[in-house]
Amino acid sequence: MVALVAIVAVLLIVISAVQTLKIAELWAINKGKVIYEVTQKQNKVQALLMLVFLVAYFAFFAWQVWKWGDLMLPVSASEHGVVTDRLLNITYAFIIPVFVITHIFLFWFAYKYAYNPNRKATFFSHSNKLELVWTIIPSIALTVLILFGLSSWNEIMTPVDSEKEHVLIEVQAQQFSWSARYAGADGKLGRAGVEFIEGVNAMGVDIKDKNSKDDKIVRGEIHLPVGIPVQFVFRSIDVIHSAYMPHFRAQMNCVPGVKTQFNFVPTITTEEMKKITNNEDFNYILLCNKICGAAHYNMQMDIIVESKEDYEKWLAEQKQFAEN
Amino acid sequence: MTTIVLENNDYKKEIKQKTAKPLLWIGLVSIVMFFAGLTSAVIVSKGTAVWESIQIPSAFAISTVFILLSSLTFYLGENSLKNNNIARAKIFILATLILGLLFSITQYLAWTELYKNGVVWAGSESSAAGSYFYALTALHLLHLLGGLISLLVVSFKSMKERYNEENLLGVQLSSTYWHFLTALWVYLYLFLIFIA
Amino acid sequence: MSATHHHHEEQDFLFKYIFSQDHKMISKQFLITGFLMGFIGMVMSTLFRLQLGFPGESFWAIDFFLGSWAENGVMAPDKYLALVTMHGTIMVFFLLTAGLSGTFSNLLIPLQIGARDMASGFLNMLSYWFFFVSSVIMLISLGVEGGAASAGWTIYPPLSALPQAIPGSGLGMTLWLVAMAIFIASSLLGSLNYIVTILNLRTKGMTMTRLPLTIWAFLVTAILGVLSFPVLLSAALLLIFDRSFGTSFYLSDIYIGGQVLEHSGGSPILFEHLFWFLGHPEVYIVLLPALGITSEIVSTMSRKPIFGYRAMVTSILAIAFLSVIVWGHHMFVTGMNPFLGAVFTFTTLLIAIPSAVKVFNYITTLWKGNIIFSPAMLFSIGLVSTFISGGVTGLILGDSALDINIHDTYFVVGHFHIVMGLSAIFGMFAGVYHWFPKMFGRMMNNTLGFFHFWITIVCAYGVFFPMHFLGLAGVPRRYYTNSEFPLFENMIDINELVTWFAIVAAFAQLLFVFNFFYSALRGPRSSQNPWRANSLEWTAPVEHIHGNWPGEIPEVHRWAYDYSKVDENGEYISGEDFISQVVPLGPNEKDGGH
Repeated sequence: MVALVAIVAVLLIVISAVQTLKIAELWAINKGKVIYEVTQKQNKVQALLMLVFLVAYFAFFAWQVWKWGDLMLPVSASEHGVVTDRLLNITYAFIIPVFVITHIFLFWFAYKYAYNPNRKATFFSHSNKLELVWTIIPSIALTVLILFGLSSWNEIMTPVDSEKEHVLIEVQAQQFSWSARYAGADGKLGRAGVEFIEGVNAMGVDIKDKNSKDDKIVRGEIHLPVGIPVQFVFRSIDVIHSAYMPHFRAQMNCVPGVKTQFNFVPTITTEEMKKITNNEDFNYILLCNKICGAAHYNMQMDIIVESKEDYEKWLAEQKQFAEN
Repeated sequence: MTTIVLENNDYKKEIKQKTAKPLLWIGLVSIVMFFAGLTSAVIVSKGTAVWESIQIPSAFAISTVFILLSSLTFYLGENSLKNNNIARAKIFILATLILGLLFSITQYLAWTELYKNGVVWAGSESSAAGSYFYALTALHLLHLLGGLISLLVVSFKSMKERYNEENLLGVQLSSTYWHFLTALWVYLYLFLIFIA
Repeated sequence: MSATHHHHEEQDFLFKYIFSQDHKMISKQFLITGFLMGFIGMVMSTLFRLQLGFPGESFWAIDFFLGSWAENGVMAPDKYLALVTMHGTIMVFFLLTAGLSGTFSNLLIPLQIGARDMASGFLNMLSYWFFFVSSVIMLISLGVEGGAASAGWTIYPPLSALPQAIPGSGLGMTLWLVAMAIFIASSLLGSLNYIVTILNLRTKGMTMTRLPLTIWAFLVTAILGVLSFPVLLSAALLLIFDRSFGTSFYLSDIYIGGQVLEHSGGSPILFEHLFWFLGHPEVYIVLLPALGITSEIVSTMSRKPIFGYRAMVTSILAIAFLSVIVWGHHMFVTGMNPFLGAVFTFTTLLIAIPSAVKVFNYITTLWKGNIIFSPAMLFSIGLVSTFISGGVTGLILGDSALDINIHDTYFVVGHFHIVMGLSAIFGMFAGVYHWFPKMFGRMMNNTLGFFHFWITIVCAYGVFFPMHFLGLAGVPRRYYTNSEFPLFENMIDINELVTWFAIVAAFAQLLFVFNFFYSALRGPRSSQNPWRANSLEWTAPVEHIHGNWPGEIPEVHRWAYDYSKVDENGEYISGEDFISQVVPLGPNEKDGGH
C-alpha cells in the first residue's frame, strides 16, 4: 500500500513537472523567444555565479583549514618524517599558489568575457612564446620537486646498517590481527613460514632453527626505544595487508610469500606526545591500510615509544620463544 | 519524420574493402599486447620465485615444423589464387588446413609428454614455471582455433571456387592471421626454450 | 501487401533499435546503458556514505536497497566492501569507459571526420552487445550467494582469490571476472573500430591536423585501450586459473582457515604490476575523451579558436605515452625496488607538464572570448576546475617519499575522485548537453541544466575536498567505520558533512535524468546547427539517416576552430562569428589559425 502511494506520488510529481516545463516553454515561445538559446539575462547570471563560486570555493577551502587543521597528524615522531613533512610543505608552497592563481584566472575570465553582442572575441589561436613559457616553468618547478623527493626517498628506503645498534622486529599480519617478534639477544630472527604454524606457534617460527630460541613474540602492543633505529621486517600469512604507522610517516605492505621491510628512528616518546597533542589517552598505533577482509576497519596494534631503559626492562619481561 | 533517400547505398561494401585489413592489423596488435602481458608475467615470476627447470618436449619441435610448413603452403595457395590457378590453390589451402590440424595434435602430444615428465598444470605438485608452459601454449592454441575456423571457411569457399584474382579479401585476411600465429608460435617456442 | 509491409516494419524496428549497426543508434545505446549503470553506482555510493556518516545507525534506505545485505538497516562490514568494490568497478569501467567513450566516439567519429559510418558496423554492434551482456552479468553478481566481489575494484589477490578470506571472493568474484573479460572484448572491438575509422575513412580535405580535438582524444584513447586492456585480460586469466584450477601464479605461503594452502611460488605483486599496467592508462582512457569533448565546447562557446591546437594534440600524445610508464606509482609501498620507485616518481611527475599546458590553454581560450554559458559550457569550465584541483594533489601522491604516508588514505580517494571521476563525468555531462540535439534532434532545457551544474559542482567539492583532510589525518580508505580508533574520533563531523553533500548531489542528478527524458521526448526541436559551430557534424541533417549525409559527403577546407575570424578591417570574414569547416578558404586566408 505504501509502495503504491509512493509510486503514485512520484508519477504525479513527474507529470506535474512535465506540464510545468511545457507551459513555461510555450509561454516563452509565445513571447517570441528561441527558448533553447541562453538569454542575455541568463548569461549574466551565470557569469556572476562564476565569481560567486570562485569566492565560495576559496572560502570553503580556508574554512576547512581553519576548522580541521588541528585534526591533522601531529608533528612527525620519526627522524625521516621530519624530512618528508618538510617536503610536503614545499610541495604545498608550490601547488596551493598554482591552484589559487589558475582558479582566479579561470573564473575571472569566465566572468569578464561573458557574451556581449557588441563585442568580438579576439582571434588568438596560438603563441609559441606563451606555450614555451608554460612548458618551461612547470618543468623547472618539477625538477626541484623531483630532485628533493628522490633524495628523501633513497634515504628512507636504505635499510639500517646491521653493524650499527638497532632493534630488529618482525611484524606478521593476518586476518585481522598483528603479532610481532623481537630478534632477541643474538640480534637475529629465526626462520619462519606458514608450514610451521601449529597451535600456540601462530607465527610459524621454526623451532629447529637456533636463531629462533631467544626470539620474543608479543601481541597487542610493541615497544620501541626512542632514538634508536628500528628495522621492521613484514610478513603476511594470508592476504595482502599494509602496516601503516601514520605518526611515524611509515607504511609498508605485508605480502604473503614475500618479506618487505621498512625502518625509522622514533624521536618522540609516547609520554612526550601526550603533552604535544594535549591528549592524555594518546597512543601511537599500527593499523592495516590495505583492504584485507570484513574486519579490515579494526586491525590495530598499539605502539609504545619509551626511553631505552624502560624499553629494555619491558623486553626483559617478555618470554623467549624456547620457553613456550 | 521526413525520410531522406540515400542515393549511394552500397557504401558499406566500399568501407569494408578499405578497412578490413587495418582492423585485422590492430586486432593483432591487441593480441601481441596480450602475450606481452603474459611474457612479462613470466619474467617477473622468474625473478621472484623458485624457478623449476623444465625439459622441453620434443613434440614442440615437430609442431614448429608443421606450422612453418602450413604458413608456406598458405602463401603458395594465396599466390596461386592471385595467378588464377584455382586448382593448385585448392590443394595448397587444403594442405594448410591439414598441417594446422597436425600442429594442434602435436601440441596435445607435447602436453602429455610434459605430464609424463612430472610437469603438471595445477595443484600441489605444480610450479609456476610448469603452469606457464601449459598456459602460454594453450592460449596460443586457442587463438589458432580461430585461425582454423577461418581456414575452414576459406577452404570451403575455395572448393566452391568463390575466390579469384579480384576477390581475395577473405583469403588475405585469413592468411595474414595465420602467418601471425606462426610468428607468434616461433616466438613462444624460443621464449619457452629461454625460460626452461 | 499490407501483411508484408507490417512484417517489414517489425524487422525494421528490430534492426533499427535493437541490433542496429548504425553508429548513431549504438551511441545512444551506450549512453543509456552507461547512465543506467552509473545511476546504480551512485546509489551504492550514497548508501555507503550513510554508513560512513552515521556508522551503525539504521536507515530505511539501506534496508530497502540492500535487503539481506543489511540486517535491521545496518549494512554488514563485508557487504560495505562489496558496495565499495562494485561502485568503483561500475563507475570506472561501465560509466566512464564504456559509457563515455562508447557514446561519444560512436556518435562523433563518423560525423566529425565525414564518414558514412564506422569501419565495421557489425563489430560495432557486437561491441555494444558485449558491453550489455557484461553489464547484466555484473548486476547479476550483486545477487549471488556470498555477495558481489568485495576485494576492491583493483581485486588484488590473494583476497580476491580466496573465498575463505571474504565471502565475496566466491561466485561473486567469478562473475566479476567473467563480466570483465567480456567487457574487455567489448572495449577492444570498439577501439579497433575507432582507430581504423579515424585513420582510413576521413572525408576529402580532413587531414590529421584539421581533426577536431575530440577526435584526437578518441583516437589516442582507443590506442591506449588496445595497448592496455589485453594486459588486464592476461592478468584476469591468470587469476581465473589460480582461483578455479589451482595454479599458483599469484599465490604462495598462505595459511588461512586453519590450514596451509597448497599454492606455492606465486607472487601477488605480479598481479599488481599487470593490473596497473592497464590500471593507470585506464585513468587516461577515462579522462582523455572528457578533455577532448570540453576542448571542443570551450572553443565553440567562447566563440574563439582553441588556444594552441598543436600543443593540445602534443599534450594528449605526451600524456598517453607517459601513462604507460608510470604504473609503478600505485605500488610504492609494496616493497618494490627503491630504484624502480625513483624511476616511477620521475615519470609520474612529468605528466604534470602536459597537463599544465592543457590547463593554461583552456584558460587562454577563455581570455578575450565571448562566452555563452550553456550548461555544456558550465560543465566544461567545471572540468577545468576539477582537473586543476585534483591534479595538483597528484604532485604529492606521485612523489614516492610523500606517498608513503598517504598511500591508500582518504587523500587518494579525494584526489582521484576529483581529477578523474569528476572531470570525466563533467566532460560526459558537457557532451550530453552539447550533442543532445545531434542525438535526439531536440534541445535540453537550459534552466534545469544550470541548476544541475551548480548543485553538482558545489556538492561534488563538498564531498571530495574534505577527504584530503581525512587523509592527512591518517584515515585509511575502505574502512567500514572509523569508530574503532580513538585517533579518528574527531573525524565523525567531517564524515557527516560529506555524507550530506553526497545525498544532495545524488538527488540533484534527478534533475538531469528528468531533463534528459523530458527533452528526448518532448523538448523543443533543434535547428541544424544550434550552437553555431564549425565542425562537420552540424552540416548533417537533424534527422538521422543511414550514411549521415544525403548525397556526397562534404569536403573539408579548414580546421574546426575558425571562430570570430576577422579580415583586415576587423569585420567577420563570413559575416558571422563562425566559419564551417566546409567553407573554402578565401584568397588571402590561411588555415589552422594562422
